[in-house]
Amino acid sequence: MDNKHIEMRGVRKNFQFFTLDNLSLDLEAGEVMGFVGPNGAGKSTTLRLAMGMIAPDAGEIRLMGHAIPAAQAAAKRDVGYVSADMRLLPQATFGWHMEFAKSIYPEWDGGYAATLVKRFNLRPEQSARSLSLGERVKAVLLLALARRPRLLILDEPTTGLDPVARHEVISEFMDVLRDDDRSILFSSHNTVDVERISDRITFIDRGRIVECSNKEDFLDRWRRIHVQLPAGASLPELPNIVGRVVDGQFVTLTTDRYSEGLRTLIGPYVREVQRMNLEEIFVANVMHCREVRGS
Amino acid sequence: MNTLTRKLIAKELYVNRGFMVIGSAAGIVSILIATQGQIGFNIGCLTWLTTIIAMGVMLAIYGVMHERKEHSLEFVLSLPVSIADYVRAKVIGLWICFLVVWLVSSVAALLLVFLKESVPDGIAPYTVLLCGFMLANFGVLLCGMFEARSEAASTAMIVVTNMGISVFMFTVGPMNGIKQTMWNAAPSWNETFWIVLGCELAVLLASFALPFFLSARRRDFF
Repeated sequence: MDNKHIEMRGVRKNFQFFTLDNLSLDLEAGEVMGFVGPNGAGKSTTLRLAMGMIAPDAGEIRLMGHAIPAAQAAAKRDVGYVSADMRLLPQATFGWHMEFAKSIYPEWDGGYAATLVKRFNLRPEQSARSLSLGERVKAVLLLALARRPRLLILDEPTTGLDPVARHEVISEFMDVLRDDDRSILFSSHNTVDVERISDRITFIDRGRIVECSNKEDFLDRWRRIHVQLPAGASLPELPNIVGRVVDGQFVTLTTDRYSEGLRTLIGPYVREVQRMNLEEIFVANVMHCREVRGS
Repeated sequence: MNTLTRKLIAKELYVNRGFMVIGSAAGIVSILIATQGQIGFNIGCLTWLTTIIAMGVMLAIYGVMHERKEHSLEFVLSLPVSIADYVRAKVIGLWICFLVVWLVSSVAALLLVFLKESVPDGIAPYTVLLCGFMLANFGVLLCGMFEARSEAASTAMIVVTNMGISVFMFTVGPMNGIKQTMWNAAPSWNETFWIVLGCELAVLLASFALPFFLSARRRDFF
């Protein structure tokens, strides 16, 4: 049985000054995918395409097995969508929104909603217009979580939140992950959050997917190698080097395929081999990709 | 119509309840002012016209333009609805909201015409046509707001439809079949009246139906 919650194949979307090109993406049930890219990379566009809010110019999209945008109403029954920009209806209270969501989704979990109201320190009688940024994000997140969706699509949900609010929000995502059948597509430019909860990561830049891999695979493969060359010596031709910074006799190499063989090739000049965190990998990956594309 | 569409229509009525109450009250108060002598009549008519026009504009601005601009549209579109469901619910919901204010104000105006002795009944056809025009005008405005892709285009729609009221007064008011019978003691539901009303009805039906064919088929709604 096909167990993909999101499938995107060769998706293209043209705007006046931006094109999302040949985008292919799969999200399996039970998987948490971090969707990382700089501002304007196409993260929000991709997620809106997945939700059927905008239609692709080419390619195929399936959400929870339904063709998008044609069958979006059926597909979205099982999907919770939260974006940092999203606002509730300003003329209604947060409590009204909860009642509204409860009337739409038979799976609405009133007990869980009440727990989240307390945990997030929200007041149902508060007007949506008067919610602060943090309260707003937590409110829309509560509305998405309490209906127990099988897929959560989160568009930069932690942007602008203070560290405490971010911790609360991320902790709720972790709770969702205890259920193996539920999945999350989580877009962010905050690699710390992504590294914390994702098991697969996709990098996107300037409308194209740069790389998609398991988080552990990224962390295992990428290394920064610090080399000190004696006078007159030079490095041999090295494979899988995606970045090279020379400062006199000091050379810093970045590789996306680290192996002991590579270290042996460099020889005795290696001073230190550093593991890279996700942010460093992301930046190096994007910069290398831009170089290869010639921009 | 599916259950969720009905819930979205109910949502429109709920979030615009303030407009409906204030608009209806303002329409009635305007007519009460209009019963107070000649100056009161002029002021009342002006506030009555302003109330109906303003309610249409407010509903279009807050119901369509602000929902898009303030990203609460994103919340609505995250619900299990298609674009067609959303447009259907929005059009019907906002029409009902406007109809409440329009109906209360129009009935109040006609009561003034027929019950107040100093106001000739002959003005009733013109009043009906003016009310019909404002209803059709709201339809055109709403239809345009759905299709407008920018704030500038939305603002232009508001300006154009507001100007429409003046155009109506300057063109329909002086028409022979209207002007000549306007101050008569009895209303004259003549051919001119029915032709103008027919035109208004045609515009009204077209403007009500167009969003279902155009906006509901839009591929990008965000």
